[in-house]
Amino acid sequence: MEITFEHVTHSYDANSPMANLGLDDVSLKINDKKFTAIVGQTGSGKSTLVRHINALLKPTAGKIIVGDRVITSETNNKNLKPLRKKVGMVFQFPESQLFEETVEKDIMFGPMNFGFSESEAKDAAHKMIELVGLNQDYLQKSPFDLSGGQMRRVAIAGVLASNPETIILDEPTAGLDPVGRHEIMDLFKSLQTKGKTIILITHNMDDVANYADEMAVMSQGKLVASGLPSDVFNSQKLLEDDLLTLPQSAQFAQSLAKKYFQFDKLPITIDELSAEIKQQVNGD
Amino acid sequence: MEKIISIKNLNYTYPDSKKPAINNLTVDIYKNEWLSIVGKNGSGKSTLTKLIDGLIDADSGTIEIDGQEINEKNIWEVRTKIGIVFQNPDHQFVGATVEDDVAFGLENQGMPREQMVKEVDHALELVGMHKFKKRDPQTLSGGQKQRVAIAGVLATRPQIIIMDESTSMLDPEGRRTVLNLIQELRQQQDLTIISITHDISETELSQRIVVLNDGQIVRDDIPRNIYDMGTDLSKYGLEEPFSDELMSTLRNSVELPESYLNEEELMKRLWKLRSNM
Amino acid sequence: MNKLIMGRYLPGDSLIYQLDPRGKFLLTFYFVGIVFFANNVASYVFLMAFVLFAVYLSKINFGFFIKGLRPIFWLILFTVLLQLFFTPSSHPIWHWGFLTLSKESMVIASYIFVRFVLIIFISTLLTLTTTPIEISDSIESILKPLKKVNFPVTQVALMLSIALRFVPLLVDETTKIMDAQRARGVDFGEGGLIKRIKSFVPILIPLFVSSFSIAYDLAIAMESRGYKDGEGRSKYRVLKWSKRDNVTVLVMLAVTIILLFIRSY
Repeated sequence: MEITFEHVTHSYDANSPMANLGLDDVSLKINDKKFTAIVGQTGSGKSTLVRHINALLKPTAGKIIVGDRVITSETNNKNLKPLRKKVGMVFQFPESQLFEETVEKDIMFGPMNFGFSESEAKDAAHKMIELVGLNQDYLQKSPFDLSGGQMRRVAIAGVLASNPETIILDEPTAGLDPVGRHEIMDLFKSLQTKGKTIILITHNMDDVANYADEMAVMSQGKLVASGLPSDVFNSQKLLEDDLLTLPQSAQFAQSLAKKYFQFDKLPITIDELSAEIKQQVNGD
Repeated sequence: MEKIISIKNLNYTYPDSKKPAINNLTVDIYKNEWLSIVGKNGSGKSTLTKLIDGLIDADSGTIEIDGQEINEKNIWEVRTKIGIVFQNPDHQFVGATVEDDVAFGLENQGMPREQMVKEVDHALELVGMHKFKKRDPQTLSGGQKQRVAIAGVLATRPQIIIMDESTSMLDPEGRRTVLNLIQELRQQQDLTIISITHDISETELSQRIVVLNDGQIVRDDIPRNIYDMGTDLSKYGLEEPFSDELMSTLRNSVELPESYLNEEELMKRLWKLRSNM
Repeated sequence: MNKLIMGRYLPGDSLIYQLDPRGKFLLTFYFVGIVFFANNVASYVFLMAFVLFAVYLSKINFGFFIKGLRPIFWLILFTVLLQLFFTPSSHPIWHWGFLTLSKESMVIASYIFVRFVLIIFISTLLTLTTTPIEISDSIESILKPLKKVNFPVTQVALMLSIALRFVPLLVDETTKIMDAQRARGVDFGEGGLIKRIKSFVPILIPLFVSSFSIAYDLAIAMESRGYKDGEGRSKYRVLKWSKRDNVTVLVMLAVTIILLFIRSY
């Protein structure tokens, strides 16, 4: 689904003397079936931005167009289910949303709310548990008997089970060990190849370089850059203003360029870096 | 080197579990050392922290802290020698403001107020949070909260600080400031640091890495030798170091040694190859 | 929700902020008491002037005080209308069925209204200028005599302060869980009563679970920092009664005396 933000401003506590801007005149297009990463320091407005896509927050001014739905400040709280069915959202530390007696029931919860029949929901649960890397035995366990990493997977399965077209991920791998992190990120990438639109909030620039097609950079509620990661990471201005850190490969290339080496454009993944080094070491 | 912690044949099994969380573990930790403990989720790292601080009692085996074996009688005294910074900054903030939180440990010792005021100021200065003294924790970033937690621990002047995944919930900026701070403090204050982590850059700052798996130590070595494990590191909850990963992609066409090089060494090697052309 | 329970405190450092919270706490209650002595225009104007002066001294935006009226706006309106139309009178200006409107009822209704405003402004002044922890300290200090009958005053005070500390955290957690369940298709406040109550289960259970995990983590953290049982602890936070607190008490006394002079008997 294509998602367009048009001059979106969001003010917290709009009518109070303590009003502050969560979003400040943001215009952004998130392309259909792409993997878009949203980065920015803590408090820069990333989470506020994505909460507008499924109308958990509504703009104070401006509008958001999600597929064929338009969300403005006037949007009614009723009849949001069709929108929320299409836009799945994995929150930070999503394991805290689990509440059912069994893993199966918890995964079925979203689909049932969105009008799946019981057998359809059950079916989805059986598929999703495997997809997130756990086996069928887990379905009958209590979610509270699982380890933190397993709970995370169950929560993700619960969001995917409603078969959303767009999946929003708010730092989905925070606190996981490296193996778990790669597995989860690979899962999202594979969902994209199956036709889903993925929106990822992250602090990990290597994940941006390795997985994202497009990226947006937020700072103090404003959108300060968007485009292809290879272009955005090569923006001198963003780096000078300390709005962005580089992926490890680009950092390494930057240091390497102090002597003998030259990079027209900083490589952002390890494969790009490796190819450049090979070429320059072995002669052009 | 002088031992500060000596653990012998330690065993612990959680009441509701069959598998031991700590399995016949023996290790010595030395004064002023920075030791990293790594391992997958569930390998027993946090259990070990709680045992060292006497927050749970071992089934068998002994733990000596600064020459004193922990027992029920001396546990409160031993605990003053150890400070722990936990994972979740919000779940360890006791005070209503920064200064109140730092004072908590001192209040527990019954320190007279005048002395407390000095100690709180001193500890907050050490972590660079003095100007936030009156602030409410809600208004601080994760990294700042952890710095306050470190100040709270420092105020009681411990000899050992345990960082129990204390940087894992922070953003890169917060992580950097906390690690720099710990590095600095270890040198200034003659502290022993035990850090439990998944973060490879955190282990790079340490002198020794202990790898835990199923409650046992499977490797105990200097970081360089541990990193030599390459992709096997992921089995133990650590990422392969960037330089190692890069080297393995380069080896098929660039001549590089088999052993581990850190980023700086690799860079020097590459410059040399390039200049020889 | 946050605004309702907490977040009432506004950081600042004007004179009112610097007063001893125990004094502020007790004097606020005292003032609420003497408001009921006022019974004529002069006495109400006088008390209003006093409250506005205190508000002025606090240097807080007047908007916050008006906001303080909002939660109980309907209660005020109801009470005022009740007084306005249901006060029996021998000289009604207007009446229809059992509704009567008279000069007396208009006066009484406006007194009631002013009384509400006075009480709300003064208590808003207390909560805006006093942190919850200061209030909890005041309660501890006021309850101190109960120690003699073995009431665990210090433990209760620590409990209270920790509870206060965790309210905003739990409010955040609640918002987050509600958002997460909304994203999974829960509609709060839709459908019949049973359905509405049911829709809170997916919030309450996760909230219990996280409260317990916070409590467990906190207990471990406190123990690791040497907290035993509350005995033998010293106190970092001290309340200081100073000259300006004496002055405030005297001012309040003067207000009382003036009030007693100008009210009608």
